[in-house]
Amino acid sequence: MKSVAEILKEIRPEFDFAASSDFIADGMLDSFDMVTLVATLDKTYGVSIPGTDIVPENFQNLKTIEALLRKCGAKP
Amino acid sequence: MGSIQQPGQVFDAIQKAKAGAPAFCTNFFPVESKLQGWIDHGELSGEAHAGAAFFLRKDRDFHHFYFCAADETALQRAIAAWSGLKSGPMVTDLVGNESDVNRLLPVLEQAGFRRYTRLQRMARMGRMETGGGAAPVEFAGKADGPAALGLIENSFDRHGEQLPTSYEIESAIENRQMLAARREGVLAGLLFFETQGLASTVRFWTVAEKFRDCRVGSALIQHYFQTHAAVRRFTLWVNSGNENAIAKYRHYGYAPDGLVDQVLANEMINL
Repeated sequence: MKSVAEILKEIRPEFDFAASSDFIADGMLDSFDMVTLVATLDKTYGVSIPGTDIVPENFQNLKTIEALLRKCGAKP
Repeated sequence: MGSIQQPGQVFDAIQKAKAGAPAFCTNFFPVESKLQGWIDHGELSGEAHAGAAFFLRKDRDFHHFYFCAADETALQRAIAAWSGLKSGPMVTDLVGNESDVNRLLPVLEQAGFRRYTRLQRMARMGRMETGGGAAPVEFAGKADGPAALGLIENSFDRHGEQLPTSYEIESAIENRQMLAARREGVLAGLLFFETQGLASTVRFWTVAEKFRDCRVGSALIQHYFQTHAAVRRFTLWVNSGNENAIAKYRHYGYAPDGLVDQVLANEMINL
């Protein structure tokens, strides 16, 4: 199973996600990327991330995305 | 359609459509600040259906139609039962890669939307060495607002290119997101951009007809690149049929990145 970091790298290969603590503020993910990311995470981890959780705070960095996945019952 | 009063109503509607969805599909990608702006100005309304949620955003003399649906079948069912499609002039966008867009296109066409125009996103990575602009460029000031809006409205298609409202222009000027070039005491050209961290999007770059071929456009974009040295990814949207504009963007290092926006209009908008 792909890791969150690998998925992010596929969506935006030009950015070093490991070096950022805030993907949104750093402009590394735009709104289209967010939808793509959510769809990919849903499929990869077999979850359905709730619409109410698709907010910037949950996509700030690898830790917050992994925490969101755990909240949805996945094991990232 | 009920008026949307707070972002939570949108998220709840999306959640209802998305819960347990095998192939969630949407054309609604609002960033929070834009969503709040639409709500604050009373422009957004919404309606929930079985497995789908529809939203309308008022824009000048027409509406933008947005949807979130559990899958294509749910979208097809909900849109077929929706009477709102004929309530007034309306456009909608399908955004994604070519195959995603082509997959959903028949659903909207069967509902009564017709192909209006197509945009493509172009991107360039990293910094670009540019010479100094030939003419002075500065940030637009508050007094430029009406002229800036007029210039954009004269240069672009309101149905196909998501033109800004006057309050968006005011906000862009206040946040120093609009460059202005003046000639003969008037606004000769502008470049409206949105920068977030390492990424920046050119929303509108245009020169008044009278000042074309006077190097106003090149001065604006060179100034833009010079003042965005830290940006890693530059993007913009361009009409796929506008070969002149595409050639110009290629000259500045932009290339299609695979994302397209198929704009559709209902029968109350002339093609």
